[in-house]
Amino acid sequence: MPSQSISFYNRVATALDDTSLKTALSRATGRFVGNRAGALRALSDADGLRDTARAIRAGALAQLDTLLVQLAERVEARGGHVCWASDAAEAQHYIVNLAQARQVRSIVKSKSMASEEIHLNQALEAADLEVIETDLGEYIIQLAGETPSHILAPSIHKTREQVSDLFHQHLGVPPTDDIPTMTQTARRALRQRFLQADMGISGVNFGVADEGAVVIVENEGNARLSTSVPRIHVAIMGIERIVARMDDLGVMLQVLARSATGQKLSVYTSIINGPARPGEADGPEEFHLVLLDNGRSKMLGSQYAEALLCIRCGACLNACPVYQAIGGHAYGGVYSGPIGAVLTPILQPDLPDVHLLPQASSLCGACQEVCPVRIALPDLLLRHRADAVKAGKAHPIEQAAMSSYKRMMTNPFLYRAAGRAARNGSRLLGRKGRIRRLPPPLHPWSRERDFPTLPAKSFSEMWEEEPE
Amino acid sequence: MTRSQILANLHTSLASNRPWLESVANSAPHTIPPYVMPAADDLVEQFAAELRTIAGKVYVVADERAALNQIAALLAERPSPQIIAWDVEQIGLAGLPALLEAHGVTLAASDLHGASRSAHLQNMEPLAICISGVEAGIAESGSLVLRHGPGRPRLASLLAPCHIAILRRSQLVRGLGEALALLRNRYDEAIFTTTSNLTLITGPSRTADIEMTLSLGIHGPPEVHVILVG
Repeated sequence: MPSQSISFYNRVATALDDTSLKTALSRATGRFVGNRAGALRALSDADGLRDTARAIRAGALAQLDTLLVQLAERVEARGGHVCWASDAAEAQHYIVNLAQARQVRSIVKSKSMASEEIHLNQALEAADLEVIETDLGEYIIQLAGETPSHILAPSIHKTREQVSDLFHQHLGVPPTDDIPTMTQTARRALRQRFLQADMGISGVNFGVADEGAVVIVENEGNARLSTSVPRIHVAIMGIERIVARMDDLGVMLQVLARSATGQKLSVYTSIINGPARPGEADGPEEFHLVLLDNGRSKMLGSQYAEALLCIRCGACLNACPVYQAIGGHAYGGVYSGPIGAVLTPILQPDLPDVHLLPQASSLCGACQEVCPVRIALPDLLLRHRADAVKAGKAHPIEQAAMSSYKRMMTNPFLYRAAGRAARNGSRLLGRKGRIRRLPPPLHPWSRERDFPTLPAKSFSEMWEEEPE
Repeated sequence: MTRSQILANLHTSLASNRPWLESVANSAPHTIPPYVMPAADDLVEQFAAELRTIAGKVYVVADERAALNQIAALLAERPSPQIIAWDVEQIGLAGLPALLEAHGVTLAASDLHGASRSAHLQNMEPLAICISGVEAGIAESGSLVLRHGPGRPRLASLLAPCHIAILRRSQLVRGLGEALALLRNRYDEAIFTTTSNLTLITGPSRTADIEMTLSLGIHGPPEVHVILVG
């Protein structure tokens, strides 16, 4: 993936220069933000519902050990299989072995961020297994050889012309600018894939401990097909994505759909409990649940545990002014936006520049404001920044600047002297009350704006001179 | 091996963070509201209005005869020698077998677990219509609750471009919370004893993955017709 070998700042610069990306992002995030706000306004007690959602998620995490055991036991009691995977390699290994043991030739996949996290497609392809992404957005970026740029709308960075070119090139259909025609092309191309697939792989939105069920939420129907037609269904679930009771879905599904797309409920919610029962015409003969840890069990004991409340709605991405400007790819990890800046340094610590992600925020707080489970994202970003400094990852100039700043702010004599120097300096540099170009290393700040000159006297000097 | 390692990590982690998580868990009630929007007077009207705003079709009919007429009209517009459907006794519409016979329509074999798996799938793929019953309808979101199982194939609301669902007025509930409570009361611990799948369907299949422009019917049915009886 080229985006991971280039430095974070370069990825940001490239994204900022991409005008079609900018158009696509502002259209998508603007729509999502408006739809979410409308959907929450229509509720009798939106704040109460979010408080309950947060409490339900925290309650589930507080007993995560017992709930996971309960979920696994109940899946097994129905004849399902459970794989506990501590990392990407174990999860990949289990799924590849299973596919080979069952002589699987082709695999259909519905959207799963957890599978992106473990780079499952590469592992399956390396084992000569054909895997087709079936969510329309995922299918488009698979044809393009790219990675998702948004949790919900993985291909929002693509224009209709680019999609038309991809379909023309890979499926041999004539170019068109009509989006419903493209949708029908994808329907036809993917339908036979579903019917011929031996294995379907899905993500999981919620595991339900009391029923031993997994819940999959979608709008297209590809997850229903992937989990109903093939002989084998493999569901991949991050271990934190659990609720204690099926009844909890009465709140969680509603805050998820409203926060994500502004729908009252997503088009399809499948609640799946093990393989097909005797007498059922369809549904898989085998059901496998992969419980993926990949750093989460340790994260639960850390100062970042709160981020495990996340239900992957994507609202924080849409609300974030940084995400709106640079899109998902610039973040370099699987998860982008504010939640990605918190999760990626923990879940993918080996990515280069990963300590810079928490810097990609103005700490404006919009993410926390829209989060359906009220995760204190700005606070978590600050903790990451502090950790990076403690780990010696801060830029040497920044470190030197911060330590002199600290010395100045804690010493009244130095503080007054520095203030005087800055006022005199600003008068020398300024003209008509403005400084056009700040001296290095501050000059990038003034590249696109002027800095006002400082007044001749400080506030305390004026205060002392002011007659009673 | 891995299982015990993950559980050991969780024990260690919870030893430090469980008190904080419990304080958050106790900061709000876990009560599931039966519905979440201001209550409407007429559930039939609310259900129909909600489903129509998301491009679903709703036919409110007085009785079974009118329901059958509506199905006949839909069949006539989409001639199809076979349909994919629940067993007729599972749909619970007494005159349906006679109606299908009169139109020369038979039910496609839908069993995927035998030797004819591939033949059945290829036979079903081009068919125009699927028909199912429902367990409940949710008024404030226009949703259908389907409890699949023997005689109730999942593909009978998924594979063909036109899904017809039969819903009784008595099956309407106000909200999702109420629908889940109803399932709990009706089946208690046995919700999944005979079925592996519950599905909520809220309107036709949709996507906005290309330029945020809505298109219907990407993988599931582009048409959802609900015949609301009673």
